[in-house]
Amino acid sequence: MNLIREIWQSIVRRDPLSTDKGKSELVFLNVWLHIHPAKVKKEHLKFRYTFYLGFITFFLFIVLVTTGIALMCYYRPYPPVAYQDMKDLQFVVFLGPFLRAMHRWAAHGMVICVFLHMCRVFYTGSYKKPRQFNWVVGVILLLLTLGLSFTGYLLPWDQLAYWAITVGTNIGSYAPLVGGQLKLLLLGGHTVGEAALIRFYVLHVAVLPSLVILLTIVHFWRIRKDGGLSRPPWKLNTNKPEALVTIGATPETAPLKTVNASTDKTYGLMEVVTGKPIFETVTPEEEEDTVFSYPYAFFREAIALMVTVTGIMAVSLLFHAPLEAMANPAKTPNPAKAPWYFLGLQELVSHSALLGGVVAPALMVLALLAIPYFDRNPSRRPSDRKWAIWLFTIFVVVNLVLIIIGTFFRGPGWAFVPPWVHVVAGAE
Amino acid sequence: MNRRSFLTWGTAGMATLGSAMAVSFGAVLRFMTPSVFYEPPQTFKVGKPADYAYGAPTFLADEKIFVFRERDKGFSVASAVCTHLGCTVNFFQSDDHFHCPCHGSIFAEDGKVIHGPAPKPLNWFEVTLARDGQLLVDKDKIVPASYRLMV
Amino acid sequence: MGRRLPQIFFALSMLAMVLIVAAVWQASTPSWKTYQHKFLQMEAQGEPNAVTKAAVLATPPEVHQILLPGLQRVDRCTTCHQGVEDPTMKDAPEPFRYHAGLGPHIPSKFGCTICHGGQGLATDVKDAHGNVPFWQTPLLPADYVRASCGRCHKEGDIPGVPELTEGRRLFETEGCRGCHKLNGVGGSIGPDLTEEGASQRSPAWLEHHFLAPNVVSPGSAMPNFHFTREQARELTYYMLSLTNQQMGAYYASVALIPSPKYGRQLFVEKDCLVCHSIGGVGAKVGPDLLGVTKRHSAEWLDEQLVNPQLVYPGSTMPEFDMEASARKALIAFLATATAEDAKEIVSGKGRLPTPEDAAIAAGEADFGRFGCAGCHGTTLQGGVPNPNAQGGEVPSLLHLSSDYTKDEVIEIIRNGRVPPLANTAGPQPPLYMPAWKNLLSNEDIQQIVEFLWSKQQKSQGGW
Repeated sequence: MNLIREIWQSIVRRDPLSTDKGKSELVFLNVWLHIHPAKVKKEHLKFRYTFYLGFITFFLFIVLVTTGIALMCYYRPYPPVAYQDMKDLQFVVFLGPFLRAMHRWAAHGMVICVFLHMCRVFYTGSYKKPRQFNWVVGVILLLLTLGLSFTGYLLPWDQLAYWAITVGTNIGSYAPLVGGQLKLLLLGGHTVGEAALIRFYVLHVAVLPSLVILLTIVHFWRIRKDGGLSRPPWKLNTNKPEALVTIGATPETAPLKTVNASTDKTYGLMEVVTGKPIFETVTPEEEEDTVFSYPYAFFREAIALMVTVTGIMAVSLLFHAPLEAMANPAKTPNPAKAPWYFLGLQELVSHSALLGGVVAPALMVLALLAIPYFDRNPSRRPSDRKWAIWLFTIFVVVNLVLIIIGTFFRGPGWAFVPPWVHVVAGAE
Repeated sequence: MNRRSFLTWGTAGMATLGSAMAVSFGAVLRFMTPSVFYEPPQTFKVGKPADYAYGAPTFLADEKIFVFRERDKGFSVASAVCTHLGCTVNFFQSDDHFHCPCHGSIFAEDGKVIHGPAPKPLNWFEVTLARDGQLLVDKDKIVPASYRLMV
Repeated sequence: MGRRLPQIFFALSMLAMVLIVAAVWQASTPSWKTYQHKFLQMEAQGEPNAVTKAAVLATPPEVHQILLPGLQRVDRCTTCHQGVEDPTMKDAPEPFRYHAGLGPHIPSKFGCTICHGGQGLATDVKDAHGNVPFWQTPLLPADYVRASCGRCHKEGDIPGVPELTEGRRLFETEGCRGCHKLNGVGGSIGPDLTEEGASQRSPAWLEHHFLAPNVVSPGSAMPNFHFTREQARELTYYMLSLTNQQMGAYYASVALIPSPKYGRQLFVEKDCLVCHSIGGVGAKVGPDLLGVTKRHSAEWLDEQLVNPQLVYPGSTMPEFDMEASARKALIAFLATATAEDAKEIVSGKGRLPTPEDAAIAAGEADFGRFGCAGCHGTTLQGGVPNPNAQGGEVPSLLHLSSDYTKDEVIEIIRNGRVPPLANTAGPQPPLYMPAWKNLLSNEDIQQIVEFLWSKQQKSQGGW
């Protein structure tokens, strides 16, 4: 028994979880968990503040990595066999249809959740100082997510994939000067073919996931370094006078210095160099506001994880991932549509290639990246940010409307066709 | 949350989750086990008995087998894969031995090792007559060297 | 909500468990396992004793597949259709029945879908039979399976499938290529038919379409050719056989049954006797062909047919555009040809053909093959309605020589012509003469004109 206890203690070097010390040590002696603080503010655990969208996005990414690795065992990125491998997944691989569906739906889910997460962060004004850079990292992660989804779209090598990517890469080629070169680099040729498939595969399974993982680490780290999550706007109370705290106060000695308490509490000991407190004086009120991460935060995160995973599993049991006819470069479906999240772009492109395909999306991305530096308004309360909220809402609504039009209201020849009208497309 | 309900439900939840993960692990193993093979099948037909001459064995390169037909004895099928490191052996009619080109193993006509480094005799596979009259070889069924199919 | 977290956690764990079990159950119970079990039970009944019965029943279920790299197919049909190669199953109910009469087309070399259609990779009934969205070649009705012979046997007469031979002949003589492209040759008014066999159109649709194009696809520009039911069926057979899939070497080598009969037909069609003779019967421009297969190897003869200039620089022998299998048939005929054959051919034509006859015959073939006949009629009678053109229909070509010189006609064929309007205020007539100069060589056009002139009737009335 002693040996077993010894082995156990060599693995977990903490006190029992029944003690506060044990609860703290669980967090900061564990490489995976120590991204959390030992104690968290109750307000941050509120579902109605974050909707756990960041976590759900991250969990979807984990689902995607896991199912993706499984699918890689049965997929060869070479046109003559890629489609056959999809059919094998559908018909002979045990759980093949289920895992492919999970991968597909989780991918769509991740695009949606990243976007919703961004909206949440904007509406709560959480990108403001000192979190400007983390917003930028987040926008890049959004672009990488779109890139992952887009590159994965080609891999089944069916008509849907082939033509969505053909249309998608041609939108990109309208960029002045670099457009043609960009398309050539991406496709490894002038049309979507063997070279394009292997390039998209490499991007999809190696390059982009690595970048996402690296930036996600930065994203999480910055949350801690920027003082944890931002306070919910409804907790902001500007009338309260700045609290003063003392630095270096022990019962025996006089305080080294008295400074304004940071509103964004941090736990970094090293931040003494920045002039922030070594020992924060914890007021009774604050004590009441916080709880131990274990079990309060971890339980909620586990539930978010399980809701995500079971949700994706349930959807995948009911709906299989689509697989159309094998890619045929000689037969263009009418209309050929890009993946749904690019249909807003395609809609714009149908009006003006340069303006809609290049200028508008470039401005959109630049605007998103620049938001935290452009918005000088220090207040995070919605009542002080009417303009910003209006502008962003218009941005979101316009995007949604364009995507909805492109998805549901465009028929053969990109003509306006309401979804309730049935069109017989050509002689086919 | 109170401590009691936390412990009871939490433990029950962990237990269920644990078993769910065990099932998933089994499912993943099953997923990784191929259901179909893109390689020559282990069981295959090699034509009608009349296609084979008496005497020297017929070598089938794709299937890596030797088909023997002996007068009054019948058919037997030997593996052409050396038991040492998997090279394909050749049958020399000059001495009626199997010679491995890789490390010089020599097998007698009945598959026994005459000269190392091969650790054990060549495998002999079951051969039966399928309902359509063709010879049916099953590489999954190893038989003693004395096995013969009488036609 | 906070107080209920452990309960929610437990509920979600249960849900996860249920979902995983459901997924595993769904994956473990494919329908093919039921069929395999039924088949094993049938097989076990035939076993003599309990031990062998048990052994048969203990066969583990597995997906059977036939790998056909040469046909770029993998057929898993035998996963359920297990009795296909088992003669004792000849009276068994489907899907277990024995497939009689396959001849050389053994399943392990040919699979199933190359003839029957359907989705070979699939393992459940609905998907495998292919009547599902996004699968181009659903299972063919039993009546039409023989059309698939034409997927490999692209030329010559196919024993047992006269429909296919006849359908192909109709296609080449009725002028279908005037509107439809096939393997890169033809007009672009109608759809390209190169892959028509993989268009997911049912035989019933095709047959109905040939009988009444406008009823099946309203607004179709295809005229009603007043085909008979048999002709519609023959054309349907031909359509179903059209594919541009490349068959592997093994299949291509036997694609044509190189019958001397078909070779002889080619020998007649190409008017070889214009230059050659057999046993002294025929023209003396080229060498006598009696016993030519003994003097030269088959490879040499084949090369001579493909590229005469390469074998004998300066040779006057034209290049005949024949497929490999057609050349094989022609050589097969030459191996058997005697002076008697030549005499018969000459007497069939009435006289020894002259180079002019050859030109006219070639012109006639092109007239049908490139689709002129589609509008102008196989007997040059014209008459296809063309609203608002002068005369209201496509003109007859029987009296060309009284209105035009040969050179003028050549110009019209080369550059095309829009028919003059009956009512200048009215719309453009739907049909017009396309420009052919990019599709036909000057020699082709010359031959067509020679053919037209050979058919001219004396102008009635006249001045």
